[in-house]
Amino acid sequence: MEPDAQLVQRCLRGEGPAWEELVRRHSRRVYNICYRFTGNPAEAEDLSQEVFLRIYRTLASYRMAYGGFPTWLTSVTRNLLIDHYRRTRHDRVTDSLEDVMPKVEEKHSPVRTPDKAALASELSAQVQSALSRLSPDLREAVILRDLQGLEYNEIQEVLSVPEGTVKSRINRGRIELARVLQEMGLRPE
Amino acid sequence: MTWTCVQIEEQLSDYLDGLLSDAEQREFRAHVDACPQCAPLLAQVAHVIGRLRTLESEPAPAALVSKILDQTLGPRKTKHDWFSWLPMLWQPRFAMGTVTVLATLLIIFQATGVRRSDITAANLNPVRIFHAADSHAHLAFARSVKFVNDLRVVYEIQSRLQPANNPAPNNAAPSSAPSQQKSPNESQRNHSTNGSFAYVATLIPDAPTRSPR
Repeated sequence: MEPDAQLVQRCLRGEGPAWEELVRRHSRRVYNICYRFTGNPAEAEDLSQEVFLRIYRTLASYRMAYGGFPTWLTSVTRNLLIDHYRRTRHDRVTDSLEDVMPKVEEKHSPVRTPDKAALASELSAQVQSALSRLSPDLREAVILRDLQGLEYNEIQEVLSVPEGTVKSRINRGRIELARVLQEMGLRPE
Repeated sequence: MTWTCVQIEEQLSDYLDGLLSDAEQREFRAHVDACPQCAPLLAQVAHVIGRLRTLESEPAPAALVSKILDQTLGPRKTKHDWFSWLPMLWQPRFAMGTVTVLATLLIIFQATGVRRSDITAANLNPVRIFHAADSHAHLAFARSVKFVNDLRVVYEIQSRLQPANNPAPNNAAPSSAPSQQKSPNESQRNHSTNGSFAYVATLIPDAPTRSPR
């Protein structure tokens, strides 16, 4: 598989197939970051398109000093998500019915399907609901560390904050997420 | 040094991510094992992290990549692949149709006695196929004309329509016995009336030369 850096160089020379390969390689990961942050598939899709549009327009400004291409891509994604959050936070109602209902439904859910796919889907929905209750700082830290598997130094580059801040956010995000999921009924067996 | 619950909570992620030294880990475990509040907290956080890391990533929408490429590279021309239609044939409806056609051809070959070994590359020459089809079509036409002309009703109608060429026959109806001897006049009449019959008869190899009734 061709390295990302090489694909970027080919893109800068105007090779369309190289850009297409970059998009195919990273679109799913970008979509997942957006989806886990926003909780809305349609918003996540729109934001993913914006991310790649921004990347395409600023590709010439990319430098290896920014870290690897995936790190730069994640950083652009994160910045766009924060901008989107700030633009739309006035439209959101905190502690809305949508935040409360998943907890009520899970407590009174009469049927537990033994199917693995159904359980995974249920867990995903629970995690998504719990993530939406975290503040953006803690949410993005947990998403990048435990859902995207980034290392601490990579997260430090993406967020452009000191390592101590990264560790603190991850720790507080995990504890908060654990408490919310415990309220929703997810407990160690 | 014994750690406090606040310190345990602050170092929770470092412990779970293996970032504490051996000594720090021992002190951490010593406090957690004895603390009724920190132990369940550690268990819950560890459980949640474990479940998060087993979550599969969501599939991206099917049209996401094409939308991105259209917005960046512009609408792309669809490639015309000569064999792009092949995947369509693998659909069940086309597969059933293909199997039906093959079965029909197999039955036809079996019924006509054509064997695969009889078919050579030369037989597949389009010019040869055309000439064979052309001769078979003429043969079929000739046989159908002969069949029609052999019908009694057709003969009767032709006889009435062309009385000058067909002098009044004898009172006796023409016999259907094929071995009956015909008079020369009658033979001539038959030939002149059914000139096409004679022509057609020549096209049929080994055709019986019986006169129309």
